[in-house]
Amino acid sequence: MDNALPTGKLSRGKVVGKALLKIGAKKTKRFVTNGDKTQNHEAIADIIFDALGELKGVSVKIAQQVALGMPFLPPAYLEKISKSFNAIPSINKALVRKIIKTELGLYPQDAFESFEMTAFAAASLGQVHLATKDGKQLAVKVQYPGIKKSIESDMSLIHFGMKRFAKGQNVDHIIGEIEERLYEEVDYVLEAKNCAFFRENIDNKNIIIPKVYPALSSEKVLTTSFLEGLNFDSYMASNPTQEEKDNYAQLIFDTFFYALYTLKHIHADPNPGNFLFLENGKLGLIDFGCVKRVEDDFLTQYNQLHLNLLEEDDDQSIIKQYVTLGMIEEQTEEEMLTFYREIIKPLDTLYKEPLVGECYDFKVNNDFSKRGFEMIFEVQQKQFHSVHKLNEQFLFINRTLLGYYALFEKMGAKIETGYVKNLMKEYR
Amino acid sequence: MKITQSAKEKTKIKILQSAVDLIIEKGFDNASLREMAKNAGVSNPTIYNYFPSKEKLLYAYIEQKHKEAIASLQEIEDFQTYTLREQLQTLIETELELYLEDREFIIQIADMVFHASGLKMGKLYETNALFIETVDEMLSIAIEAEEIAEPPFREHMPKLFWDYYIMVVAYWVKDDSEMFENTTQLLDHSLGLAEAVLHSDMLSKASDLGMFFFKTHMLNSLQKFATKKESFSKIKRKLGEVLHG
Repeated sequence: MDNALPTGKLSRGKVVGKALLKIGAKKTKRFVTNGDKTQNHEAIADIIFDALGELKGVSVKIAQQVALGMPFLPPAYLEKISKSFNAIPSINKALVRKIIKTELGLYPQDAFESFEMTAFAAASLGQVHLATKDGKQLAVKVQYPGIKKSIESDMSLIHFGMKRFAKGQNVDHIIGEIEERLYEEVDYVLEAKNCAFFRENIDNKNIIIPKVYPALSSEKVLTTSFLEGLNFDSYMASNPTQEEKDNYAQLIFDTFFYALYTLKHIHADPNPGNFLFLENGKLGLIDFGCVKRVEDDFLTQYNQLHLNLLEEDDDQSIIKQYVTLGMIEEQTEEEMLTFYREIIKPLDTLYKEPLVGECYDFKVNNDFSKRGFEMIFEVQQKQFHSVHKLNEQFLFINRTLLGYYALFEKMGAKIETGYVKNLMKEYR
Repeated sequence: MKITQSAKEKTKIKILQSAVDLIIEKGFDNASLREMAKNAGVSNPTIYNYFPSKEKLLYAYIEQKHKEAIASLQEIEDFQTYTLREQLQTLIETELELYLEDREFIIQIADMVFHASGLKMGKLYETNALFIETVDEMLSIAIEAEEIAEPPFREHMPKLFWDYYIMVVAYWVKDDSEMFENTTQLLDHSLGLAEAVLHSDMLSKASDLGMFFFKTHMLNSLQKFATKKESFSKIKRKLGEVLHG
């Protein structure tokens, strides 16, 4: 059966509206029963996801972005994300043939030596096909037509919905940020550039980054070398040893900080779908749809702040740095202190927790994401009506890292912090 | 001297292409067969041998594109693994792809068919034999392979599909989206819907419902008419008056 996208603003509006109605009902129920808050939030998250899932297409991606903003989600919630990921409408053979012809000027059988018309993997807003040319195995990512256009209409609906949900809080910057990321993610030319950049600059024999074939790529088609490996779920199902898992976690952790401090770029999407577990402990990085550049000045301040956090500097000095970084709005000292202690401190305490000691075992601290999840909701309950625009680069780094921590916890892996802390100290 | 079939075919394609170019340049009304002949490098009698009129040339163009599209489909190695919907979608996408280089020409034709009186829609039907045959074959194979159940009005399906195709072309002519991706989406979604209907057996259920009404109510009324001869002939008389003024 066909997975037709609900088209037109009206039908999409209906789905969003329905979800808002359901949320309203849940909220009322909570007031009546005064039940477990966390459970209720999970239910609300469920409803939002259901609605976004029903919208399909771009909205699935938006849902993922929302999830990225809140990395500590209960496992059930994360499962929903991966399910919705598969709900992106598949591109049938007729359409694949048409897209390749439009984008590359040739039909698949002429552009490649062989081309599998059935996709082997889903990708962000598209799907990936196996092909060969000049005896090489290639992965060809194809994007569904019209995605770029529907971002706009979807986002305006989400904006409308979020505004009601946010109870007067300004959400424009969040929406703007998500929209920008979506536009970046649908631009395969940009992704090709980022992929080539990382391939050229990551100097680690255990990190494998595919080679881009520009002649066989366009804005909506991206051809790279094919990497043979397991995705996260299959890898975990293959019962890897503790040592193997620890090595992978360490590799992901160290590479993230290496890219941050040396290349000034981060792969800002901690979705496990972006990793491939290859033979001999090698790790494939395969999706460069969300790469962020960080500025020197920012990085210097960011680094200093985190070193000071690890050294347990006093709150006043920390607050000053947060103000410089644009994470705390300049107000009276008392207001800033309250805001820091109520909102920011719980978050940065959690964020730095794995970095404090020489190593951190996520198997022992297997409630890391649960605590994070509860803490974020607690912070949200406090209802600070802030219209302050937070520093984007800051958010990206911490979000991504927290996403990785959630992944490490899922792996039950242990990481050592020596290399990373050394990078931080050297950067100073 | 006998001209071989393939040489004839080559000349025909040459004339068609120069005709299309000339029509794009000068417009259908101002482009003469004489000039087309000159551009194609053939004599005047030759062009009249191939195309007695400009209209005939136009229909030949459309037939030629059907031929090319089907030839392109035959080049797809695993076409038999495509679902019926994918096969139909590929057929239309391929035709549109072929039209793309002559888009301005197609726009003129569409204008003439849908707005001005120059061309009759009905005339276009004469060009669709190959298209309908191909669709009919795809349909037969899908039914035989039990991909879909035999739909009611099976024999009318290919013609209906051709009407649908004309509608898609009309949409494409007006489509100003980037890379005509709106047409691609319209095609994808509408065929998706058609596929869902065919798979759900909804058509035959709808026709069952229709038959039920017809048999139990319409048939009854008809029989009543038939038995009441008097009133029946009265109605006939009335109808005659209306029809013949």
